[in-house]
Amino acid sequence: MQNPVPITTQTTSTSWLRRYLFSTDHKVIGLQYFFLSLAAVFVGMLLSLLMRIHIVWPKVAIPFLGAIKPENYLAFLTMHGTLMVFFVLSTTPQNGFGNYFLPLQLGASEMAFPKLNRAGFWITLLSFLVLMAAFFVPGGASLAGWTQYPPLSAITAAGPGQGHGTDLWLLSIGLFCLASVLGAINFITTTLKLRARGMTMMRMPLTCWTWFVTAILTLLAFSVLLAAAIMLLLDRNAGTSFFVPSGLVVSGASVAHHGGSPLLWQHLFWFFGHPEVYISILPGMGMTSHLLSVFSRKPVFGYKAMVGATIGIGALGFSVWGHHMFVSGMSPYAGFAFSTLTTAIAVPSAVKTFNWLGTLWRGRIRFTVPLLFSVGFVSLFISGGLTGPMLAQPALDIYLHDTYFVVAHFHLIMAMAGVFAIFSATYFWFPKMFGRAMNHRLGVLHFWITLFGAYAIFMPMHLLGVAGNPRRYSELTGVQYVAAMAPLHKFITVAAIITIAGQFLFLVNFFWSMFKGASAGENPWQCTTLEWRLSSPPPQHGFGNNVPIVHHGPYQYGSPELNGRVAADDFLMQDAPANP
Amino acid sequence: MPRISEHVGIERKPKLGGGGPGKIPHRHGYGGGDDGDHDQPDDFVSPKDRLRRYRIGMAAAIVAFSTFFIGIAVSYTLRLGVTHWDEDLGKSVRDAHPLALPYIRLFINSFILIISSITLDLARRGLLAKSEFAVMGIAPPRFKTELPWLGITVVLGVAFLIGQIMVWNILRHQGIYFNSNTRSGFFYMLTGAHAVHLAGGLLVLLWALAASSVRMRFESRQIAVEVTAWYWHFMGILWIFIFGLLHFSRG
Repeated sequence: MQNPVPITTQTTSTSWLRRYLFSTDHKVIGLQYFFLSLAAVFVGMLLSLLMRIHIVWPKVAIPFLGAIKPENYLAFLTMHGTLMVFFVLSTTPQNGFGNYFLPLQLGASEMAFPKLNRAGFWITLLSFLVLMAAFFVPGGASLAGWTQYPPLSAITAAGPGQGHGTDLWLLSIGLFCLASVLGAINFITTTLKLRARGMTMMRMPLTCWTWFVTAILTLLAFSVLLAAAIMLLLDRNAGTSFFVPSGLVVSGASVAHHGGSPLLWQHLFWFFGHPEVYISILPGMGMTSHLLSVFSRKPVFGYKAMVGATIGIGALGFSVWGHHMFVSGMSPYAGFAFSTLTTAIAVPSAVKTFNWLGTLWRGRIRFTVPLLFSVGFVSLFISGGLTGPMLAQPALDIYLHDTYFVVAHFHLIMAMAGVFAIFSATYFWFPKMFGRAMNHRLGVLHFWITLFGAYAIFMPMHLLGVAGNPRRYSELTGVQYVAAMAPLHKFITVAAIITIAGQFLFLVNFFWSMFKGASAGENPWQCTTLEWRLSSPPPQHGFGNNVPIVHHGPYQYGSPELNGRVAADDFLMQDAPANP
Repeated sequence: MPRISEHVGIERKPKLGGGGPGKIPHRHGYGGGDDGDHDQPDDFVSPKDRLRRYRIGMAAAIVAFSTFFIGIAVSYTLRLGVTHWDEDLGKSVRDAHPLALPYIRLFINSFILIISSITLDLARRGLLAKSEFAVMGIAPPRFKTELPWLGITVVLGVAFLIGQIMVWNILRHQGIYFNSNTRSGFFYMLTGAHAVHLAGGLLVLLWALAASSVRMRFESRQIAVEVTAWYWHFMGILWIFIFGLLHFSRG
């Protein structure tokens, strides 16, 4: 039995403000990102609720808002997508949990550049506030969708939100790009330079691998989006014509710009946008691999294959952006190439899926809440993933592109799977972050409501899509064949209301457990990785001068004889002595 | 007495979850710590290790900057082929108009930038050599002899920026503005973004210079000069790339 003494060196000399608000401590910054996302996800969820209510009951007046006008609907759509993609799915798994646990899992006491890290958070917060400000400027928030396709997004006269609202959107995303790149530099340097002695790359937990690969994707993708956002901002405010074509007539008036190419924006945006999908989901994949191993009490099935698949998905992710543009009139040859490459991503994705199933296979599974959410992730990843190769066929995509089928696809695979990974990580690391355990029963209830809710909301959308229900329209009550689908829409809305109500269980559980939960101890899940060597919550300076020396791989679970030694327990900490 | 294993009969090696047991590879530096300029107690990382860390950080940043500029440059080359249908001429015409570059000014600017790279590298090498002594803890090394090289670099950097402003003025006098046409838009975009990035490097150099009056640790200044030199060289190479791109696509 290894009986590690938790490391609790604690020297708190700094003031409250420097300790908790303007801190350079990676743990505090991780939590700051986490709570920022928590705020963003509830705003985004409220917007989706308003949209769902409007689709089903278009005439109903919302308190404080009145009846929702079509431009309001489009503004909600834009802001829902932007908040969820940028401030939730790219922020929580990478910047939130990554900041908190990457150094701890590597055996480092800090990120490589703590001040840069702090700057990254404050720029992200500023970016969030700028985005939120768009609701309160004349004309309201942008209408152009989270993809901001020009010329709609480039011309102020194109709609009520296309004035200051779109400028603020672009400014916000520019700031977000900057913060993300700063964060990515930090992650890459930390992973390469600050690993504890003995922590080779191939002994890193898979979470660290995915954070590392995600950081590389962030570095490459967000710089391109920054360039594109600056050019669009110049088109709007400096009179340039990067994206605005000649001879455009908007709202009855001829536009002075000439010679630009709206398609160029699509290429730049999706060169960012597709890797962005993997920026959102790769850390979730890492967390799922990690948690399935912990709670099956088995090593990860195919560790090296998992690392290879992570790198493979990251690399392939940069060569498939064209599949978002099949209906843009691209050359069929280009379409064929993008289609083939996109289908190729199914290979590393399938490697991951089978390895997750292989990890669970014949394991001694402990049905904890984090495990449930991880299995939920695998389930949603498969359900959402299977429609991916379908949409990768140009012939099918041309029919399905602007329908609810695509909405169902990306919400299942990116949004729902991503959120399930975030939930699993929250339930898993909560004891480490706050020193207390979350309530099990409430967690299980929350899981089942969310799982059934996710499927009840998004599965019927496939049917709507195949039946030809277009997306992004605020109201289609006058259209005969769409009106026939009203009952299904009503079902989806009711499911959404129930699911959103269920999320308050999580919120109650989270804040109640933070103050009143049962004390957790330093290693409640019996994990091997280094963060569990510290007290819960970890001391301010992490490992301090007791930097661990790593002797073992990260997933030494299950066997009573690990490495030829007699172990009383079924796991071996990574820093357990090599020779007993 | 040997422990009786529950697994009788089959000699099976336990499966390992990646990276089995083994010897600890030798590597420099580990753990964490801050960047040394504030009051955390666990600053046990050697200056040499900090230097390596900042170099990796700068290398990653340079990748990000490259992607940013490649994004714009690729957009430019794609946009050169865009045509539109002209009603009056009755045929499709290219949107990109030829651009007359002020070559003499641009060559002078390029020369200034290359010289500044050399002077900055002289400062960098001097400080790097001195930092070896600092690592050994022999004596607090003096910063003074490198100050002139840094000063000259800053002057040359400012001269380059002024030269770029003169280039823009020459084009403005020709009536070529940011929003005139495809080529002028990308010309100002590329040169402007490059100038902004260079100005950022200039600020760090000024900070390293001014730090001699503030109480700033030698290692921090040495690292600042070191990574800024990398950045500066990258900016020089990037400038040559941009100049070449503008030249070969001038129409």
